[in-house]
Amino acid sequence: MSATHVNSHPAREKAVVFNATAPRLSIRNYSLAYATSNGPVKALNNINLEIAPGETHGLVGESGSGKSSMAWSIMRYLPSNAIEKHGAIRLAGQELLEMSPRQMIDIRGQRISMVFQDPSTSLNPTMRIGEQISEVLMAHRGLTKAEARAEAEAALARTGITRPKEMLDRYPHEASGGEKQRVVIATAFACEPELIIFDEPTTALDILTARQILDLFNRLREETHVSALYISHDLGLVSRIADKVSVLHHGDLVEHGPVNEVFNNPQDSYTKRLISAVPHPDRWLGVAKPETSAPLLSLDKVSVRYSPLTFKEKVLKAKPDEDQIFWGAKDVSLSVRPGELLGIVGESGSGKSTIAKALTGLNDFTGAVKFGDISVKGRKEISRDYRRKVQIVFQHPDASLNPRQTIGTILSRPLHLYDVVPAAEIKNRVRELLELVRLPAEYADRLPHQLSGGEKQRVAIARAFAAEPELVICDEVTAALDVSVQASVTELLVNLQKDTGTACIFITHDLNLIRQIAHRIAVMQHGRLVDLFDREDAQAEDRNPYTRALLDAVPVQVSLGVYETEQNDE
Amino acid sequence: MTIGYLFRRLLSILLVLVIVTFAVFAITAVLPGNAAIMILGEYATPDAVAALEKQLHLDLPWYMQYLSWVSGVIHGDFGMSLRLSLPVSDVVGEAFVNSAVLAGTALVLVTIIAIPLGAIAAVSRGKVMDLLLAVFSYMGSALPEFVTATLLLVVFAAPKTGVFPAGGFTAPWVSIPDFLAHVVLPAVTLGLVLMAHISRQVRSEMSEVLSSDFIRAARLKGLNEKRVIWRHALPNSLAPAVAVISLDIGYLLGGIIVVEEIFAWPGLGRLLIYALENRDLPVIQAVTLLLATVYALSNFLSDVIIAILDPRVRYA
Repeated sequence: MSATHVNSHPAREKAVVFNATAPRLSIRNYSLAYATSNGPVKALNNINLEIAPGETHGLVGESGSGKSSMAWSIMRYLPSNAIEKHGAIRLAGQELLEMSPRQMIDIRGQRISMVFQDPSTSLNPTMRIGEQISEVLMAHRGLTKAEARAEAEAALARTGITRPKEMLDRYPHEASGGEKQRVVIATAFACEPELIIFDEPTTALDILTARQILDLFNRLREETHVSALYISHDLGLVSRIADKVSVLHHGDLVEHGPVNEVFNNPQDSYTKRLISAVPHPDRWLGVAKPETSAPLLSLDKVSVRYSPLTFKEKVLKAKPDEDQIFWGAKDVSLSVRPGELLGIVGESGSGKSTIAKALTGLNDFTGAVKFGDISVKGRKEISRDYRRKVQIVFQHPDASLNPRQTIGTILSRPLHLYDVVPAAEIKNRVRELLELVRLPAEYADRLPHQLSGGEKQRVAIARAFAAEPELVICDEVTAALDVSVQASVTELLVNLQKDTGTACIFITHDLNLIRQIAHRIAVMQHGRLVDLFDREDAQAEDRNPYTRALLDAVPVQVSLGVYETEQNDE
Repeated sequence: MTIGYLFRRLLSILLVLVIVTFAVFAITAVLPGNAAIMILGEYATPDAVAALEKQLHLDLPWYMQYLSWVSGVIHGDFGMSLRLSLPVSDVVGEAFVNSAVLAGTALVLVTIIAIPLGAIAAVSRGKVMDLLLAVFSYMGSALPEFVTATLLLVVFAAPKTGVFPAGGFTAPWVSIPDFLAHVVLPAVTLGLVLMAHISRQVRSEMSEVLSSDFIRAARLKGLNEKRVIWRHALPNSLAPAVAVISLDIGYLLGGIIVVEEIFAWPGLGRLLIYALENRDLPVIQAVTLLLATVYALSNFLSDVIIAILDPRVRYA
């Protein structure tokens, strides 16, 4: 690993005595806790971690594992209630814990920089992109405004932005998600730092964009020999880009080593469980394929229009100008068989949730929906009977469960509404429902905020099944959950399907997950259905190019199969 | 911001003003109790009443009265003041300029003091400075103008020890030091409530901005705190403050009536009170219409400023 390139700035050479043999970052016996009104809460426990020059080190863990705390500790950006018990954090041999705030300002952005999860919130909305990059160059490299601007343009060009000069004068909201993340990356690389911390940099991006950002990172890493700490919950992704990996669990570093060793031959039981929870397309979890091909639900040219009717159309009844209309979904025709699980995949804005909303009467639509012998041609025609038979589970249980109602009340509402059981039976039924989603009966008296994310999603699922539906639409129900929780929620859904024979539409952006459970997969793009195929045909030659691109963009490199038995632990 | 948007906004302001002319006219001219009798008193002879009615065009049907008044207004002719025997436009024009000078001074004072105060309070959140500023703001908004005015008069304009004159007016184009001496107390009285309001608004907005991701990102880019606060945080906190200021213009216009009376400031407020006491209808109508216009225009102006401050705001 050559360090000469990294150290090419005169301003930096005075400040840093660079030692090419020492690790770029070395963390020794580091412990961190947060003071709370209930006493100190442990966040990190005796962490030892080393990153060599040019190495990309993956840090994986689920929410609450302390991986973000790790980043804040290195950046010396801890809240005032942080207690650092002992340990050392050294950057190229220099102790960061002993740095004054003034010295840290010089290190941040210059020697260690950060790339954040969501580029749309990490850029200042009222400042032009050019200024947000050049201010770093002015602060750390003492460039003049004009020099910094020229340098910012060059930095943007290196990240593959096609018209860097124009981008400088734009505001963040005038750039796409991928462009914004390129801007953040350009800023992070601007002063040619020794270490970059990536905090879930692709989580907020679409599949294809995420893939491009990863490719960009790989290229820049080759060019600059920067060291990187890559924080992620996505093991598949880390396995693809990291050289070494550390696994965090409740503040303890349970396993670390070269990425292939850890993923192929994990030693720690938590690592094993984490790896086995990662969806893999070749491991089938779903129920048996339905025998009948007669549809339960069929959509015929269903369209949802988002742009309002114009004056001309409303009053003059003029024919609309097709180019001016924004369609949330356009001419979608598909069907779901009884007991089947149909997956709908697509990037954000592809119309997959729009279809879910149309089918549950939350969006108006045109076209025809046939459900059994019920035929519906618009939102107003949706009957109570239909509503009962078609239920929906949303992505965020926090938003879909009323925070002021107990779980018991929440679950009893559909029972009352559709007269599923006599009033006297409701209490018992609520208990059965909780049992069905494997939650203790006492939960009936609790409020949503007293439950974990996974438990809340189970309640939302129980509520959908309370009405004894024939079709349940799951709209990204696992997207907000941790990997291991995601696996158990998916398993629960499949079991419920097995027991009740309910058909399911499962909307997701996770292609590996959907290939584990869906009989057929529909692919949507820009509001249109572009592909629909049996799961066995996913790799077929005649797949739509877009489907192919999506499938290729997803990493499936975690070695799997050996630990399936562990999967049921919780 | 499109030209179409500006045009539609101006059109809607016009509509508001038309409705205001109706309201003003209805209240002062059509409600029970003939204006001529109100002016002359209940012992007036019928002849005198009839003569005055003719002079005021009260003998015409109401819509004719309205149309003749409105067409006068459009031509800048608000009629003659019944008491001062001067054209209303002259009387109101001079008072308007005086009031604008006072309100403008108060507004500038509020803006340059309240916005930094709010920012400082947000930065020192939970510390002594924040607490002091909170106490100041609550006092400011709890005390009505006539109380603060009296207090200020007692402290700063007492006959022997006072530093400022207790009332009166000198135009800034006559003598600037003299004008400043006269304007301080009324402007402070007028601005105190607004300062409290606006500094609280900036504080809460700024606190929220300070905990946002992009501020964290700015700090982690290694920018110094000064730049983070004044370049990154403050501009993002201003747009809501401007919205509040524009709503507060209405409050300011109300406050001006009280404050001008207390400090003997010859502006619209004093004129309005004089006109009300003397039932000088044309003056009342003109002043009310003018205040409504100022309010509508300042709201429009604030929307324009917000669009300039926040590039994401796009009116179409």
